Amino acid sequence: MELRRPPDAQHAVAALGNGSLALAGGTDLVPLLRDGIVRADTLVHLADAVPRGIDGTRIGAGTTLAELEVDPQVPAALREACAQAASPQLRSMGTIGGNLRQATRCWYWRLRFPCWLHGGEVCHAKAGQHREHAIFGNERCASAHPSDPAAALLALGARVRTDRRELSVAELYRLPTDESRDVVVLAPDELVLELDVPLPDASVYLKAMDRKKWAFPLVGVAAARFGDRVAFGLAGVAPIPWAVDSADDLDRATPLPGTAYKVQIARALIARAFSAL
Amino acid sequence: MNVRLTVNGEPHEAEVWEGESLLFALRERLGLPGSKNACEQGECGSCSVLLDDRLVCSCLVLAVQADGHDVVTVEGLAEDGRLHRVQEAFAATGAVQCGFCTPGFVVAAADLLEHNADPSDDEIREALSGNLCRCTGYAKIFDAVRLAASQ
Ligand SMILES: Cc1cc2nc3c(=O)[nH]c(=O)nc-3n(C[C@H](O)[C@H](O)[C@H](O)COP(=O)(O)OP(=O)(O)OC[C@H]3O[C@@H](n4cnc5c(N)ncnc54)[C@H](O)[C@@H]3O)c2cc1C
Ligand code: SF4
Ligand code: FES
Ligand code: FES
Repeated sequence: MELRRPPDAQHAVAALGNGSLALAGGTDLVPLLRDGIVRADTLVHLADAVPRGIDGTRIGAGTTLAELEVDPQVPAALREACAQAASPQLRSMGTIGGNLRQATRCWYWRLRFPCWLHGGEVCHAKAGQHREHAIFGNERCASAHPSDPAAALLALGARVRTDRRELSVAELYRLPTDESRDVVVLAPDELVLELDVPLPDASVYLKAMDRKKWAFPLVGVAAARFGDRVAFGLAGVAPIPWAVDSADDLDRATPLPGTAYKVQIARALIARAFSAL
Repeated sequence: MNVRLTVNGEPHEAEVWEGESLLFALRERLGLPGSKNACEQGECGSCSVLLDDRLVCSCLVLAVQADGHDVVTVEGLAEDGRLHRVQEAFAATGAVQCGFCTPGFVVAAADLLEHNADPSDDEIREALSGNLCRCTGYAKIFDAVRLAASQ
């Protein structure tokens, strides 16, 4: 394996693709490489290629979760989502860009079962252990998106600037398909450079987890109020961050036998988040 | 490739493989086995070190990411032959059983007290939430941090 440290975004993009992967904090990528779940001929270290820091509503993709959780310019939902993600050790290395692109925590996938998301035929979780899995969008892959900040950014209507376009967080994610078993629309050599996060009138992030601290979301609910409109973004309920308009949308959930409990948790957290705004 | 980093105040140089972790480099190349290797997944915190004064899991940092940076390991906490007050407090309160988690907890607790001289129980819980202990049940570890804070 080779390591490169390009001086800017343009050189980084040129070095990506064709077996090269971007490395930001490494908290997700390093163990995946070590366990042979993903392979790279070249690692492209982004330290000089991606902006870091917060300027009003703009957030560099290289900003760490630890930096976001304490900055008063950042809307409460995003601050709280970062503060409740992972552990202090991980938040001081993990960047927001890497967090948005983190891989699924489904244990079958992490243990290299030849499951559908890995290119195989079946979803092992559906027939097996799936307590942490999805209640929406789970027809092919039942994994549950692990990012707390992504749910917050979805509720906040954040926009993403890459090296070649601008899109909303809602457009960044899409359910994996037979043709493309990935959860983002980005090209393999496309870099997230910056986020633009509108300031809401009020926002909040609530998270249900197995432990009070340091655990992935069983269900995370972000809510943001702009005038009299409230938007919700959910973590841990679908293979991608999931937007709902109200608790009524949960009537359309398609839980697995082991995930039905998440519907109730999501309902309760949406009600609680709504009344907190 | 070659990396140069400062570890516990001393300049070091090592020849590392691109994919190797800072933890591996510290333990196997620089002779500093204090940071422990338990999960290698970022889950247990036994490999905690300070990288430019920020608490990180050294199992998830590539050695090359630490090139040109400043690292403090548990070996670097003692000063002038005297244990750090957190280390003394761990010994005094019996916060150590098998000891495998201890270096990580000590580094995390020292980092906490560096930034917050008088932490509340909730702040201690938050600061140590990335460290797992399978032996003590955490009560003695809390006692140790409170004792160190009071000194
Ligand atoms: C034990 C553990 C617990 C965790 N718990 C939580 C949790 O509760 N909630 C939560 O939200 N997260 C959690 N995480 C995930 C953690 O927050 C992410 O690993 C971290 O934010 C990833 O950022 P990074 O900079 O380390 O990314 P890296 O590991 O460097 O990269 C991750 C991926 O993103 C790609 N990438 C990185 N930067 C960019 C960019 N600018 N443009 C395009 N692609 C990019 C990389 O190529 C790679 O594919 C946990 C992780 C661990 C290991
Ligand atoms: S939930 Fe997705 S990642 Fe997990 S086994 Fe099923 S297809 Fe694979
Ligand atoms: S060995 Fe690094 S967190 Fe467990
Ligand atoms: S003392 Fe044994 S794991 Fe903590």
